[in-house]
Amino acid sequence: MNRMNRREFLTSTSALVAACSLPMSLIEICQAKTADSFTFAFISDSHITHIKGNKFVRNWDKGLMKAVAEANLLTPRPDFTIYGGDLAQLGTKEELDHGMEIMTGVRGKVHYCVGEHDFYVDLGKAWQEVTGSKQYYSFDHKGVHFVVLNSILTFPEWMADSKWNKGMDRMKQMARLDNPKGSPFMVGEVQREWLEKDLAKVSTNTPLVVISHSPLQKIYKGWNFWTEDAEEVQAILKPFDKVTVLYGHVHQVQYNQIGNISFHAAMATAWPWPYPSSYAQSASYLPVLTVKMNRADPFQERDATGWQFINLHSGDVDVHYELANNTNRVVAFNRESGRPEDTAYQLAQHQIAAQKHY
Amino acid sequence: MNNQKNSRLALLLPGLLVSGLAWADEFDTQDTYRWYQEYLEVVKEGEKLFHSARGDNTVSCDQCHPNASNTHPETYPKFQKQLGKVAALHEMINWCIRNTAEGQDLAADDPDMIALQAYIAFERRGVKFDPGKH
Amino acid sequence: MKRYLLSCLVLFFSTTFSAFAAPLGLPKVPIPSDNPQTEAKIKLGDKLFHEKRFSSTGEVSCSNCHVKEKTFTDGLKVSEGIKKLTGTRNAPTVVNAAYFTSLFWDGREPSLERQATQPFLNPVEMNLPNHDPILKIVRRDPEYAQAFKKVFGKAGEAITIKEVTQAIAAFERTLVSGESPFDRWYFGTEKAAISPDAKRGFEVFLTQGRCVSCHTVEQDHALFTDSKFHNIGVGFTKIAKDVDKMAVSYLQAAHKGESVDIKVLTNENVSELGRFAVTRKISDLGAFKTSTLRNIAKTAPYMHDGSLETLEEVVDFYNNGGKVEEEDPEVPFLSGGIRPLDLSDEQKADLEAFLKTLTSPNYQ
Repeated sequence: MNRMNRREFLTSTSALVAACSLPMSLIEICQAKTADSFTFAFISDSHITHIKGNKFVRNWDKGLMKAVAEANLLTPRPDFTIYGGDLAQLGTKEELDHGMEIMTGVRGKVHYCVGEHDFYVDLGKAWQEVTGSKQYYSFDHKGVHFVVLNSILTFPEWMADSKWNKGMDRMKQMARLDNPKGSPFMVGEVQREWLEKDLAKVSTNTPLVVISHSPLQKIYKGWNFWTEDAEEVQAILKPFDKVTVLYGHVHQVQYNQIGNISFHAAMATAWPWPYPSSYAQSASYLPVLTVKMNRADPFQERDATGWQFINLHSGDVDVHYELANNTNRVVAFNRESGRPEDTAYQLAQHQIAAQKHY
Repeated sequence: MNNQKNSRLALLLPGLLVSGLAWADEFDTQDTYRWYQEYLEVVKEGEKLFHSARGDNTVSCDQCHPNASNTHPETYPKFQKQLGKVAALHEMINWCIRNTAEGQDLAADDPDMIALQAYIAFERRGVKFDPGKH
Repeated sequence: MKRYLLSCLVLFFSTTFSAFAAPLGLPKVPIPSDNPQTEAKIKLGDKLFHEKRFSSTGEVSCSNCHVKEKTFTDGLKVSEGIKKLTGTRNAPTVVNAAYFTSLFWDGREPSLERQATQPFLNPVEMNLPNHDPILKIVRRDPEYAQAFKKVFGKAGEAITIKEVTQAIAAFERTLVSGESPFDRWYFGTEKAAISPDAKRGFEVFLTQGRCVSCHTVEQDHALFTDSKFHNIGVGFTKIAKDVDKMAVSYLQAAHKGESVDIKVLTNENVSELGRFAVTRKISDLGAFKTSTLRNIAKTAPYMHDGSLETLEEVVDFYNNGGKVEEEDPEVPFLSGGIRPLDLSDEQKADLEAFLKTLTSPNYQ
């Protein structure tokens, strides 16, 4: 991409065109609104943790409460909210109930996606009961086809109840991010077959949005920033003109473009993770396109946490990161270059020290 | 008289040199291997501590620092904003223990503190020393 | 001969610039390159600071709310302008304001010069319709005309509000104070400058109190402010229930061009929006600038609305995790640094004792 100033960038994207549907917290020039543009909120990775009795880890509670309170301020209202997974830390009924109690404060409908922390104690049973959600499903909205996957499964032999004394043992193995005895995430054959059948009914010029907890890419296996069958899933999505994958799990800003698929990671409401390159002992593959989030100040317990709202217009996805104690970030799809780009920091000379100081 | 003294010294010195093995910091590869294994035992202990709750609230260090990443032991001592002064690594570890894990401070020479620092440094092995870097 | 010249130079520098040298515990005062300090400018600024004719009733000057004998604040909950009309915010001290990177509780002006332009026009402060009445006076009054000629080399129409506020800012930049008992102990060498309980209180300040991250201390100086904006829960409960409606209606008004300055000082609820009124960022709702703690024992009452009267109340407020009473409701928009502290009574008393050591000799 040539050197371009912000104004040139904005006029070259369709961001301005859709501005009128954006919430009032933004100062944007209003132009013609397109019929197919809408917004939705995306909240993820709250990791509600039970200590004992009715005591929960205050820090993570506060993160989710703040996201919910702020999301409720969006005016005009977003069409719905998506929850990106890991509502609970160890998937216990207490944690799921407490998390849902906070989530019921969200105005409007919420679609849930499952994360490994919700799942592994009992293979998703309590999570399904408490959220009332299926583990994978699809729905249509204003001409866009949404698919929600359970992308945190792993090899059936590893998951099987027979392998473990207690479900909690299995959960604790998956809960530790840097676990050398962990097992890689995957969508799996059953779901891939379901996905193919589901998408067979969708025309290739229908915009697709795929909600997944794991990245559907191979970024860093050591921390399960990884989907083992990423290539197979991407192949199923290949025939479509516009595909966007929104994922959780990584607790940091990431974005990428692989062929026809845009990828965007969600911020966690709970706590941030360092970028994999900050672990010096092994190689990792963070998308080169990604401009990193500002490094966190641990005193501000909400620093490098947040939530996001997505502006979808003509199938293009712009992610607006609402970041506590930080300048907000917008990663918008650039029609000219055909990939998502940060509207302020994409060019190296615009990046700031806090984004390079890992 | 002096000549006698001097010649006696002249005889003594080589003797001292030969038996000097008992005086200098001599060690062989068996020693260094053994000491390194003892060190790795402490690293292992540190890894256990790093991955378990330090205080009342179940939070463990690895939740924000998988594989001890983003701890930057190679930059200490340095100015630490959260402490208001130039500080050493163990002081920042205590800050995290107190504030994030809501546990009790460890003394600098507490075996647990030594173990934590051993693990943190081990996971950062090979990285260039960069004292004072923010 | 060389030695004589050298000692002349030393004398010259130490006398000319001793007034501008950094006090113990503080860094050098930042001086903008387009507004250097001179004795004449400072004297002019002092006069302007005390000029009551720059108000619609001829009774209010900067010094009404920023009284020298009251450590350049006024000891009131919220300040009183013309006809004793009240605003919504507590007057911050001018002492050490030179170190802030933005001015006002919500940081809406980036410099002392720009800050000075606003109170003249606010209906509950000086209530002038525009700056013309000020310029009329400074252009025609012989004493002022002479002073402006001397300081800026300007006369008549060439004198604008810029020169007026530059002089005021220059005066304000001399109101810096360090060398408190704390400074003499921590940055100096006087081991007994503060009492043992104050020393313990400083330890609380750095550790369990969690104060130092916003009320900053550094290796060789301490501003006791990070110049950033945080919602610590003061007064926010007033609007918490209606904050969504309020935020929207504020944005609509701002879009129409209504002045932030006038809105925040004349409407108590809008005032509670804090930094949001300036940045329009959701996460700035109810956020206010970190005050300096220097001379804090002398600048009661506390917080942007003057709602906390004593240092004891302030310490309790933080100890409760940003609440006046422990049973007060939680505010989801609280800054991430605020949480219950579990301080013992002794720790709280020690903390207070430490805060009292931050008073500089000229404000004792």
